[in-house]
Amino acid sequence: MDEGKAKIIDEIISKYASRTGRVLSVLEELQEKEGYLSKESLKYISTRLNVPLSDLYSVATFYSFFNLKRAGKNIITICMGTACYVKGAPKLLEELEKLLKVKEGETTPDGSFTIRSARCFGACSMAPVIRVNDRTYGFMSPERLPAFLKLYGWKQG
Amino acid sequence: MRVRSLDDLKAIAQRALEKLCGRRIRIAVGLATCGIATGAEEVYSAFLKGIESLKRDILLTKVGCIGYCREEPIVNVVIPGKALLLLSRVRPEDASEILKNLIDGDVPREKIVCRVKEWDHLLEKIHYGDGFTDVSLYEDTPFFKHQRKIVLRNAGIINPEDIEEYIAVGGYRSLYKALTEMTPEMVIEEVKRSGLRGRGGAGFPTGLKWEITAKSESDERYIICNADEGDPGAYMNRNEMESDPHSLIEGMIIGGYAIGAKEGIIYVRAEYPLAISRLQIAIEQSRRYGLLGENIFGTDFSFDIRIVKGAGAFVCGEETAMIASIEGETGRPRPRPPFPAEKGLWGKPTNINNVETWCNIPVIVYKGGEWFSKIGTKNNTGTKVFSLVGEVQRVGLVEVPLGTSLKRIVYDIGNGCPDGLKVKAVQIGGPSGGCIPEGLLDIPVDYESLKEVGSIMGSGGMVVMSERTSMVETAAFFVSFTSEESCGKCAPCREGLKQMLNILNKILMGKGSPSDLELLKELSETIKTTSLCGLGQTAPNPVLTTIKYFKEEYEELIKRYD
Amino acid sequence: MISLRIDGRLIKAEEGERVLQIAIREGIDIPHLCYHEAFEEPYGSCRLCIVELKEGGSSRITTSCTLMAREGMEIKTDTPEVIKHRKLLLELYLAQAPLSNNIKKLAERYGIKGTRFHKTLNLEDPLGGKCILCGLCIRACREIIKASAIGYIGRGEATRINTPFLEENPDCIGCGSCANICPTEAISFEDRDKRRIMRSWSNTQVNLKICKLCGHPFTPEPLWLKVKEKSTYTPSEEIEEVCPNCRIKIVSKRLVKPYSL
Repeated sequence: MDEGKAKIIDEIISKYASRTGRVLSVLEELQEKEGYLSKESLKYISTRLNVPLSDLYSVATFYSFFNLKRAGKNIITICMGTACYVKGAPKLLEELEKLLKVKEGETTPDGSFTIRSARCFGACSMAPVIRVNDRTYGFMSPERLPAFLKLYGWKQG
Repeated sequence: MRVRSLDDLKAIAQRALEKLCGRRIRIAVGLATCGIATGAEEVYSAFLKGIESLKRDILLTKVGCIGYCREEPIVNVVIPGKALLLLSRVRPEDASEILKNLIDGDVPREKIVCRVKEWDHLLEKIHYGDGFTDVSLYEDTPFFKHQRKIVLRNAGIINPEDIEEYIAVGGYRSLYKALTEMTPEMVIEEVKRSGLRGRGGAGFPTGLKWEITAKSESDERYIICNADEGDPGAYMNRNEMESDPHSLIEGMIIGGYAIGAKEGIIYVRAEYPLAISRLQIAIEQSRRYGLLGENIFGTDFSFDIRIVKGAGAFVCGEETAMIASIEGETGRPRPRPPFPAEKGLWGKPTNINNVETWCNIPVIVYKGGEWFSKIGTKNNTGTKVFSLVGEVQRVGLVEVPLGTSLKRIVYDIGNGCPDGLKVKAVQIGGPSGGCIPEGLLDIPVDYESLKEVGSIMGSGGMVVMSERTSMVETAAFFVSFTSEESCGKCAPCREGLKQMLNILNKILMGKGSPSDLELLKELSETIKTTSLCGLGQTAPNPVLTTIKYFKEEYEELIKRYD
Repeated sequence: MISLRIDGRLIKAEEGERVLQIAIREGIDIPHLCYHEAFEEPYGSCRLCIVELKEGGSSRITTSCTLMAREGMEIKTDTPEVIKHRKLLLELYLAQAPLSNNIKKLAERYGIKGTRFHKTLNLEDPLGGKCILCGLCIRACREIIKASAIGYIGRGEATRINTPFLEENPDCIGCGSCANICPTEAISFEDRDKRRIMRSWSNTQVNLKICKLCGHPFTPEPLWLKVKEKSTYTPSEEIEEVCPNCRIKIVSKRLVKPYSL
């Protein structure tokens, strides 16, 4: 564990003085900063918060929001909620996997895209919906995907 | 400034009313997640640029969502003294034209959805005025006509990031009333009288729940707002928080007073970043105005709210799982008894209510339980917000009195399926709910009627399915959802749903046999009866209702194999 | 004291006592896998201990491990409804843990020979085919041993039990309580040379304490240290680092001496 990283974690922990919601908040904030939860980070948090590593690992693998692997530069999340499902989200995912040549949960070899799926963004009125990083896009279709990916630096081929 | 008295509130209200309907033109862009996803931010920027170049004193502001999602981006405009106008599908390139018109006291007709002469915020009414008499009235517009707004009374009208606008429409007056004129017991009595039942789906009487927690022997108590809206196809709570966060906060402070809690926690799902940020803003503002924190309104009541973000686990909507999650554990439900009302967060009595339940509280306290109990039907009082989505023409958030028929919602408000398709079923209650066939749509929407047909009220997701939807696939979709979201603690839910999905997939692949259908039913009964928590106990509902109402679709798939 | 009926028998119990505990005490057989008397609180994961509860005119099915006794309760442990669900649960267990003899035996008691469900065998999981995820091992490790070396990983049908990152975990003291308490004998370890290898837990290795007399390993060193630290009893130096066999010899010599005098 290098000192810089330890300092980042210490700073995050210092923000959550109350034990209420602390473990989730610390892990969430660290992941927002680093993109994922590394083994070293979890080990360090375990000693700092005095929570067994097995408990932290349980938490990190239980909640779908946490990743233990480094994610790509752009995270594309396809909503798999009911409304999106009814309006063709599975086809969208299929097409996206075809275009990026990786499966859901994986990252492209160049590290630029990760594909994920989500339960529901609650943007059902514009189903099907995808989210790129923090931005939500409605009324998506397989045909619109290539042009759309190009906005994020994707090159066909 | 710190608010200490009713006069302070009134002074703020006076000031802020000037923003809502004052001497300036007001342009309010609907900037909730759904608006933003269709380009409302660009629309906002276009207006901003236009106003700057015109050098005119026009108030540009953001509001939440009025619920007519199909028509997003929605912008509402007020020309002083004239009716508020709701404009739909506004594009950035429309901004300059709209601005030009506004300055001349007009609005391009083709953009207008309807006009609002007067808006009833329930604690306060705002008179906008006449004008535009050729445009249809809000209350005559098919999408709005059958709605009654209590929870969404402020959504889409006020700026959710401005506490003063909330105060202008009567905000925090209920809190003042509760703290200065009522004892905690009186507040609970009022909530009991209202007949309000939990809007998270189970429908437990809210007042009774509060009373049990308040009476539990303890030095400390907690209240929690369940904002972990997990049902796919449901986004009522997201909109409630994005459009009117102070209603929730005020409801919780009143609840804290009634129950004897000093701390409230909003457990909100991480998938809702905008709702989280608006809540944070609202909480900070409330603290600054002295409405959260020590000695609220100068009384000896102190209360504060903390936000805890969920991390993507549907099961955390279950009360004991949510508590475990807040305590830093995995969201695995704990056996009951003890119930959270006796032993909840950190072993202390804890009361959990859904966002929508809390949002009703300020109105009940101010208008009285009696007033509230007259809306809806006898044992199902008040309104319920539904997200009307899927294959329906007028997609959106609708708030109707309980007891309204499904037909009214799907056809009169939603205008049925698009492309001339026929409605086949309506899925209510998310993965715990059921698929109700078209033939049963004249049942009233209330807790008991929905249960009778094999569904549940749930949190309010209403997904319309057309004749081209396969019901077996729909059932498999829900089971794959619940199987993945099962916490994995108890065997019937974890193993049972996995096997159920296996069988459904087998049938879908054309390899099912008639005995599979029997096994599905048998398995469903055991999962329902023996699962530890509500997730498993309701997860077979989509399978059971589709077998009950659409058996021929299963048989058709099975026959192909024979 | 209150009184309740289990299968017609009138039984006295403390109010709030859990019904499964009462039944065990009274010799009434209710099958269960995740309950163990070592723990105060029930866990409620295996669901096999379901019973039918009749109270105030209505009846429902509930797990007896979580049910608190109240005056006038009427409990039936083997109604057709209860048996039906229990049998289906056992079929699910047979599919999940086809390699467990204990599950097979339990199923046979209910006349179940096979399962209608698809059997799953995860060969990557050292517990695969035997573990039913009841959680007893995790609870023993955490609540009794206070080592917290293992935990649930993942959720839903993908849940499994192991050490964090599926790596050797220095938090494990090699006590073997997990294997001891496991109702399906899914957990295994072996002692080789001077080490205990927890085969189920990512081959976590733990040093064994060597007997200073005979030179044989006799207990995991961290366990030995933990006991030493927690124990109020201080053994004499003569027997402290000595294995049970050699200890018996020393003690018996001491005992035998006076008689031989």
